Amino acid sequence: AVISSILFSGSAEEIVIPRKKTWYGIAVLQALASTVNRDPTASHYVFQDDSYLTPRTSAEFKLYSLAQESGRTAAKYFINTYPKYFQKDFANPHIPCLMPETLELQVNEVSEAALIERIQLRKVKAAVDMYDQLLQAGTPVSLDLTNDLLDLISLYGDCDPARGDAPDKSLKPNRENNNAERIFNMMPERNRRSYGALIRGMVKHGAYSKAFNTYTDLLNNRLTGDVHIFNALISAAPEVREKYVEKWDLIVDLLKQMAEQKVKPTLLTFNAVLKALRRCGSLGRTQAFPVINEMKALGIAPSLATYDHVLGIFYKAATSAQGHTEILQDVLSEISGKSFTAQDPDDVEFFKDAMRICLATKDIEQAYRVHSLLGVGENWKLLGDSYYQSIYYGRFFNLLCMMEHIDVVLKWYKELIPSLYYPNSQGMRDLLQALDTDNRLDLIPQIWKDIKRMGHDNKTELVEEMLSLMARENQIPEVQQSFADCALDVKALYTQTDRRVPLSWSAGSLSSITSILLAAERTQQAWEMLKLFKLANRVPSESLMNQFLESVKASNNAQQAVELVQISASFCLSITPNLMERVQQEFDLTEEQRNTLSDLESSTAMSD
Amino acid sequence: LIFVSFQTVCRQLNSTLWLNVGGRSIHSSAVCCKNRAARIRVGKGDRPVTYEQALHPHQIAHRKGWLSQHTSNLQGEDGAADRTVEDLFIRRLIYGTFHGCLADELVIKRRGNLLVICALMLQKLPPHKYYFLVGYTEELLSHFYKCPVKMEIQMLEEKSVYKYL
Repeated sequence: AVISSILFSGSAEEIVIPRKKTWYGIAVLQALASTVNRDPTASHYVFQDDSYLTPRTSAEFKLYSLAQESGRTAAKYFINTYPKYFQKDFANPHIPCLMPETLELQVNEVSEAALIERIQLRKVKAAVDMYDQLLQAGTPVSLDLTNDLLDLISLYGDCDPARGDAPDKSLKPNRENNNAERIFNMMPERNRRSYGALIRGMVKHGAYSKAFNTYTDLLNNRLTGDVHIFNALISAAPEVREKYVEKWDLIVDLLKQMAEQKVKPTLLTFNAVLKALRRCGSLGRTQAFPVINEMKALGIAPSLATYDHVLGIFYKAATSAQGHTEILQDVLSEISGKSFTAQDPDDVEFFKDAMRICLATKDIEQAYRVHSLLGVGENWKLLGDSYYQSIYYGRFFNLLCMMEHIDVVLKWYKELIPSLYYPNSQGMRDLLQALDTDNRLDLIPQIWKDIKRMGHDNKTELVEEMLSLMARENQIPEVQQSFADCALDVKALYTQTDRRVPLSWSAGSLSSITSILLAAERTQQAWEMLKLFKLANRVPSESLMNQFLESVKASNNAQQAVELVQISASFCLSITPNLMERVQQEFDLTEEQRNTLSDLESSTAMSD
Repeated sequence: LIFVSFQTVCRQLNSTLWLNVGGRSIHSSAVCCKNRAARIRVGKGDRPVTYEQALHPHQIAHRKGWLSQHTSNLQGEDGAADRTVEDLFIRRLIYGTFHGCLADELVIKRRGNLLVICALMLQKLPPHKYYFLVGYTEELLSHFYKCPVKMEIQMLEEKSVYKYL
């Protein structure tokens, strides 16, 4: 606290270096304590700690991290293509992940070993071909190996996994599993695992009713299902029935069969039930808690996905949240202080959905509780990839700007941005709104620096909103000067043509900049702005003209007053006669000036 | 006795100096060259030179530090030659990979199993290209030497000149 107060107090006043400094006894401990938590001034750990190499916008973040990954992939290509240079093993004990991998197929004759190799290397088409060749050659393939092959085909949907880490998310509903079904039908004997592979593949790739038919086949062959089959069928149940009641009845039926066949449900079973209940409307609300109680009675600890589904059942996007606000609080009370691990792929949805609900219900207290949950144990791993993180922090910051005092908002701003989150232009507009609400418009020039650094200075709405906030009222002189400097900086953006497309002027932005310059008494630059109006084909407003007249009167420059009237006439403003009258009355004009004015008067009178 | 020693002394003197008075001969000895290791000789004064280059190797541990830091030169430790060869390989690899971008010699530090390559670079390439090369080098060297390799880069606008020689 001592150190931070010294840091923050010196900003406005002169820095006085004392002759001797005495430290508190615990100053060292405080300094050490400040290094323990996250450093908000550092960039993400994958980046180099240098200002040239630190990303400033979210686009740069993605570009640099992908560039580094692609460098690694390029190196791996060389290592795996020329493995003989990397075979010498210095490491004791042996480090297997630093040896070159064999990605090419070694075994090429038609044999079971070749099939095993292809399955291990995840080469789906090659494996299917090898299997067909084996059958044509007459060699019997063992049941386990065939089951492995079926698993492979069902997981990858009958096409090879794409190289690189972007999974092919487009599901091809008709073409898939033809190979799987064909091989399945050719099998002399099938066991539960074979049926399981087929059913799970069908559910994964969208063939829901076929999955249920295959399950019926399984029962007809006097086999029982296993937990994976039932999980897949439960998650497919909402797709094969229309009405909420029918969906629920099907799920209950499946659960009963599960009990009959003595299959123990797991966490994934209950999560699948709750996920299906999200699609069951009001029935979900009545059935959710009985399901959770059942889960607890069996001693299965819920994961974050469970809570996410519960929140999804009770807080629908369309309906407003009245009457259900206790659910979020109850959930947070139950999980506060607990550390969760990743057990279900839907665990990562929890944090962003919880924050969405806090934002919709405008509940800042719950938002703080959700955020503190993120700091417990390993929960930070469940926040998801950078896209989910940006959604979470975006919603959190939005809520803060709406609900909290500006000092708190600025504290969080320094904490979150830019080390954790790069706000988009909407986020910056929310921040400007918060500044306006709490009357701290003097901070706008600093925020403008951040906006430029983040690359949002090409967003016209954001820039215009900022300018109009600065131009709205007059401020104390130092603030007005800083506004004027900021306005000139913005003006440079509209006029520069070197690097990129400049912004296009609008009447609002021109008027705002002009009135800021006038209020700061930079009359020369304000006059240059007036000329820009003509170039950009925009018309100045009447209030701006009046403001000009006031400033000209303050400097008592009659020539400028006459020029002002001329400019006003050239724009054919309706205020021109009024201006003319005021100039004639309030200024001492020379003969020449009076003549100019009277000419103007007659010309405007003729044009009317 | 004094008389005898004086005669032997004269005889000895005759055979050496006085014998060759009036003639010249070649005097030869083993070659002793000036030390040229890692030194840049003073020239016209137009050649910019960094601190590292300007100070000669006898200044190490006085005004210079070490470019390669490992423990194999301590008493009872082995592997010094292997470490030196690795260092040379790494320096050549990085000189070629980041061609024209290095501002000064690399500093290679070994901490336990970890190999840290500290480099000063110029701002010649856009940052995403630097990240590509860093990822590539780290991965390649990790697999080559079977130990984790990390690069720490600092960027400079231009080479820092210490003096002109």
